[in-house]
Amino acid sequence: MQPIIEIKNLSKVFGSGDGKVAALQDVSVAVQPGEIFGIIGLSGAGKSTLVRCINLLELPTEGQVLFHGQDLTGLKDKELRMQRRKISMIFQSFNLLDQRTSLDNICFPLELAGVSRKDARKRAMELLEIVGLPDKANSYPVQLSGGQKQRIAIARALASDPEVLLCDEATSALDPTTTDSILKLLQKINRERGITVIIITHQMSVIEQICHRVAILDAGQVAEIGEVESVFSNPRSAAGRRLVSPEMALPFTEEDGPIARIAFNGNASEEPIIASLALDLGIKVSIMGADTRNIDGKAFGTMLISLPTDSEQKQKVMQYLKSHPGVTAEEVQ
Amino acid sequence: MFDLFSDPVKVAQQMEIIFSEYGFAIWETMYALVLEVIFAYVVGLPLGVLLVTGEKEGIRPMPGWMMKTLNIVINLLRSVPFLILMIIVLPLSKIIVGTKVGTPATIPPMVIAAFPLVARMVESSLREVNHGVIEASQSMGASTWQIVTKVLLPEALPSLISGGTITVGTILGYGAMAGIIGGGGLGKMAINYGYYNFKYLVMWAAVIGLIILVQIFQSVGTKLAQASDKRLRNRN
Ligand SMILES: Nc1ncnc2c1ncn2[C@@H]1O[C@H](COP(=O)(O)OP(=O)(O)O)[C@@H](O)[C@H]1O
Ligand SMILES: [Mg+2]
Repeated sequence: MQPIIEIKNLSKVFGSGDGKVAALQDVSVAVQPGEIFGIIGLSGAGKSTLVRCINLLELPTEGQVLFHGQDLTGLKDKELRMQRRKISMIFQSFNLLDQRTSLDNICFPLELAGVSRKDARKRAMELLEIVGLPDKANSYPVQLSGGQKQRIAIARALASDPEVLLCDEATSALDPTTTDSILKLLQKINRERGITVIIITHQMSVIEQICHRVAILDAGQVAEIGEVESVFSNPRSAAGRRLVSPEMALPFTEEDGPIARIAFNGNASEEPIIASLALDLGIKVSIMGADTRNIDGKAFGTMLISLPTDSEQKQKVMQYLKSHPGVTAEEVQ
Repeated sequence: MFDLFSDPVKVAQQMEIIFSEYGFAIWETMYALVLEVIFAYVVGLPLGVLLVTGEKEGIRPMPGWMMKTLNIVINLLRSVPFLILMIIVLPLSKIIVGTKVGTPATIPPMVIAAFPLVARMVESSLREVNHGVIEASQSMGASTWQIVTKVLLPEALPSLISGGTITVGTILGYGAMAGIIGGGGLGKMAINYGYYNFKYLVMWAAVIGLIILVQIFQSVGTKLAQASDKRLRNRN
């Protein structure tokens, strides 16, 4: 299938001379139509720059951004503005017009496109229904909570009937419950309208909850890219490991003895393994650190355990773990 | 100058002047003010917009030399004392309005003195607009013109109104000085009768009139600015 958005060998350098910052280096990412694609990375990794390059709010220094195979970087100003209507964006700080009511905020993109006032208002009311805030039509942004503002921003983003929705830290300013409801709304929009969603975040939980695939961005480069379960259960890059289990990136000393890392990919629950290990082998291991999440009784994430110093016993443990379905294990020290 | 009421004859004489000329003076002051404010904004508002949109990081960057020249001209006009500017510009009045005396003659110098102030005021109001909102509009495909007319100006409206209030106050003050070159109104009344003819009662009446006008404009302006600001909570 042709990707709906394809970023090809994209580089972005800010400033010049001594103050030069290479925010993105040779980034290539292909996003398929209809998927929810996550881009995760630490603060300063270049996530915002990357997403802003997609609709050319930021001009790439090098590389291409293809939308349905068409290179946006080559477009004239007017053509670019037409394409931008098909690629909507929502922001961490919502960016609503403070002097307009919710309804008029949602009408704004329609106004830009020359839709009549009457039609725009009708469409805006429908969108208010979709985001669940029909009673807030005449409220000004100052009268809304963060979650409500983001809902209005989403309605506004949907007004132009976009094919792609870019979300730059859209839930980072919200509390966990509100984050949850906004993510559910995004998921619903993706499912019901087939809109491709690209989510930028520094929170693993956001990616886990709704993304199909994820790219890990590290210091301006793509460290790895793949299905969310496989990347999170078994990160192959150092950046991926750091993200998945930050506390486990802490160095252990020689005194801690040999250590194994177990990755759970959602096909097993974590408790029985360590227990059955003790039962079946008569060997006790201790958990050095764990960053696992239990979703519907299935474990995702990683765990570090200390291995017996005796090499025969160690072998037994490793074999036991490796033979267990749903986990992968490797000796890390 | 403060012994206003000791001579009944003089008082009566001055009261007569006040009664017969005060109304007209206010009218002249207002009519000059309205024209000056309109022209100052006709020139200053677009320039203020340009100062924001045309800069290097603006939404429609203009050539550097152009922005630099604009800034220098505005700073220059802002730094010349009004009285001097008025005298320098007066010959221009002859060309534009056909006369070097009277109220119409004071309008061109006043506009030239006031538009740089307006431009700076508009500039600073527009700079207060959250950059994220501008980006959001760009992401929706807004053109430069649409951003200016639908985002920058409406979002900055309360601040623009406050700026307008300051402009009106300043122009009223300039207008009083324009009395020196024959510009009519309360300023002329104060200078002609008070300063040149020792009719201090008339002078004070004119000065108090100006003070009251400034107060009225200030409170109306502040009210309008607040009323237009949808960011203020708990309003109906
Ligand atoms: N307009 C800019 N000018 C200069 N440097 C910038 C600019 N925008 C971002 N950067 C730099 O680029 C890097 C990536 O920033 P950003 O994309 O905002 O990261 P993230 O969104 O992942 O936190 C940072 O080092 C940041 O300082
Ligand atoms: Mg960011």
